[in-house]
Amino acid sequence: MSQWLEQVIERAEKVSDHLSAKRGEALSLLRQQRWPNRRVEAWKYTSLTPIEQLTLVEGATNQKIADIPAIPGVNSLDLVFCGGRLVTDLSGLSLPKGLNILPLSQAQQQTLSLFASIKPKQHLFGLVNDVLAIDGLLLDIEAGADITQPIRIVYLSQKDSESHNRLLVRVGEGAKVCVIEHALGAQSSLATEFAEYKIEKNAQLEHYRLNLRSGKALDVGGNHFFLDEKAQLNSSLVAFGSDLSRLDVDIVHGGEHANAKFNAIYLLGTGETFDLHSCVEHAVAHGTTEENARGIIGDRAKAVFNGRIHIHRHAQKTLAELNNRNLLLSRRGQVNTKPELEIYADDVKCAHGATVAEIEEKALYYLRSRGISRSQALVMLNYGFIQELIDELPNQALADWLAPMLRSRFEQMEVK
Amino acid sequence: MLKISNLHASVEEKNILKGLDLEIRPGEVHAIMGPNGAGKSTLGYVLSGREGYEVTEGSVEMQGQNLLDLETEERARAGLFLAFQYPVEIPGVSNMEFMKESVNAIREARGEEALSAADFLKKAKEACKQVNLPLDFLKRGVNEGFSGGEKKRNEIMQMILLEPKLCILDESDSGLDIDALQVVAKGVNSQRSPDRSFIVVTHYQRLLDFIEPDFVHILADGKIVKSGDASLAKEVEKTGYAWLGAKGEEKEA
Ligand SMILES: Nc1ncnc2c1ncn2[C@@H]1O[C@H](COP(=O)(O)OP(=O)(O)OP(=O)(O)O)[C@@H](O)[C@H]1O
Ligand SMILES: [Mg+2]
Repeated sequence: MSQWLEQVIERAEKVSDHLSAKRGEALSLLRQQRWPNRRVEAWKYTSLTPIEQLTLVEGATNQKIADIPAIPGVNSLDLVFCGGRLVTDLSGLSLPKGLNILPLSQAQQQTLSLFASIKPKQHLFGLVNDVLAIDGLLLDIEAGADITQPIRIVYLSQKDSESHNRLLVRVGEGAKVCVIEHALGAQSSLATEFAEYKIEKNAQLEHYRLNLRSGKALDVGGNHFFLDEKAQLNSSLVAFGSDLSRLDVDIVHGGEHANAKFNAIYLLGTGETFDLHSCVEHAVAHGTTEENARGIIGDRAKAVFNGRIHIHRHAQKTLAELNNRNLLLSRRGQVNTKPELEIYADDVKCAHGATVAEIEEKALYYLRSRGISRSQALVMLNYGFIQELIDELPNQALADWLAPMLRSRFEQMEVK
Repeated sequence: MLKISNLHASVEEKNILKGLDLEIRPGEVHAIMGPNGAGKSTLGYVLSGREGYEVTEGSVEMQGQNLLDLETEERARAGLFLAFQYPVEIPGVSNMEFMKESVNAIREARGEEALSAADFLKKAKEACKQVNLPLDFLKRGVNEGFSGGEKKRNEIMQMILLEPKLCILDESDSGLDIDALQVVAKGVNSQRSPDRSFIVVTHYQRLLDFIEPDFVHILADGKIVKSGDASLAKEVEKTGYAWLGAKGEEKEA
């Protein structure tokens, strides 16, 4: 076991609140955990060394809160965490009808039933989050409510500190909501942010995870969704890489005729690491899943995509598509991709695939020989497959804000 | 316009150009002929700054500028244009988008304003007509699925749109039917002017009946081995390259 994990357990033993029963369960699992090395499948390609070397303190609230970047035109209701603490005064918010927001510490009844009920137990850092996430939020959207204002959770890291936050969301029957999880920071820090979403019958969730941490900001998190009958999920991930950035996504089709769409974009600059593990469980019939992950990997950067769709024996008439496309900008970049379909039902329609492309030198030369700059030529030749996913983002204002930011990140990446 | 002195260049450690000299004044048309593998295309690549083509000795000046110091795109903006022997297919980028970017990049370098979409379309349509390509070629991917002759005409269309100072045409005549050959020749002739020069690489005298050269050079084994006027091309057409000693000597060695 690593020293870091020992510290986690030590700290966890002192935590005591209404979630103690749930936390205790996670703690006993953690005690049995071996610190993963490269032989552990879930961490085969991503090294935990940056975490092993950490000596961080838990975040303190007295530090100055960095500017919160606005997303023009989105007009979101912002809930801000800084260094692991909720810094938004909930009592000062005027909430639309049908939306209830409670801190983890107050939402006793609902939290107890949601907490760790959707997130699978095998995620090591999910367990860490179980025992250490003191601050967090419960968003409860009442049945039938149509919340038009997007809710944005902003996670700011603080220098040399650790933060662990939990988000629990219930989208009640027939309700509609948009949730944006927006994480940022580049200073030396570690964050675990895990979110559990229960999307009830006929409900719709539009979801964004903007993992925009980079540099020395280590980020290990999870998004876990449960879809009841006819529930609809449209989730989009936009990720940079950092010294270590990892996201586990789980989607469970628990009711028939549910529909899940998950698009992921990752743009990794020089030396960055990003690891995406996703697992979709089709436990019942008539579910639809469409998953598209696309990334550009810069010099000495490293991407991991492990996508799994598991179609259980009774999940007849499932439609599932899983695709991963990558562009390597350098021979020294690395991508490990493994899209997997595991099918135990016989009447299903499924497809999966992965590609890794390199820069086409001849085409690049041809465009440049006509006066087009190298960076512009690279955008013309290679950016289309990323732009396609940006164009699919359901929130136009958010897409307009992201597009130039992502494009300039790409233009600054060096081709070697 | 262009002054090449003692140019040596290699590809993957193999010496291809071995001391090439050539001087071109404004308004002149120079034809370059020579056996397969002599280094004609290599010369075009070296002049346009293709990666992997390393200049090991010599110098190239274009309009008083050291050409070898410039990046490929800067050379194009300075007025160099190479019509490729084998144009690349680029699916996913439309011919229209490609040419608009390229025209505007070059206009910007000249200090001119970017063309509006409408103005560009008008120009592109005219250029299409000049090389006898249907308009829907603008919408297709760059050279994607174009026939050999269509690719060559597409190159000439780009030349017309970009208004370069020095045009290098690398076998723009090969693979063309008789009518297309005339179209290409007409396209080139329409661009001839006192301040624009041409290097026309060809294997056949035929093209030179339409585009009359001021000089004809024979390039063999990486050097210009003979220069003359238009009559030299006719001579080569009759006698071939058997008279070139160098190749024969190499065979013996
Ligand atoms: N990448 C490369 N690696 C090795 N040799 C090369 C490479 N590119 C070109 N060459 C060689 O350089 C020589 C000159 O080629 P080039 O294409 O310039 O000839 P060319 O005069 O244009 O011939 P053609 O009339 O057939 O078009 C040839 O022997 C060719 O095989
Ligand atoms: Mg050639």
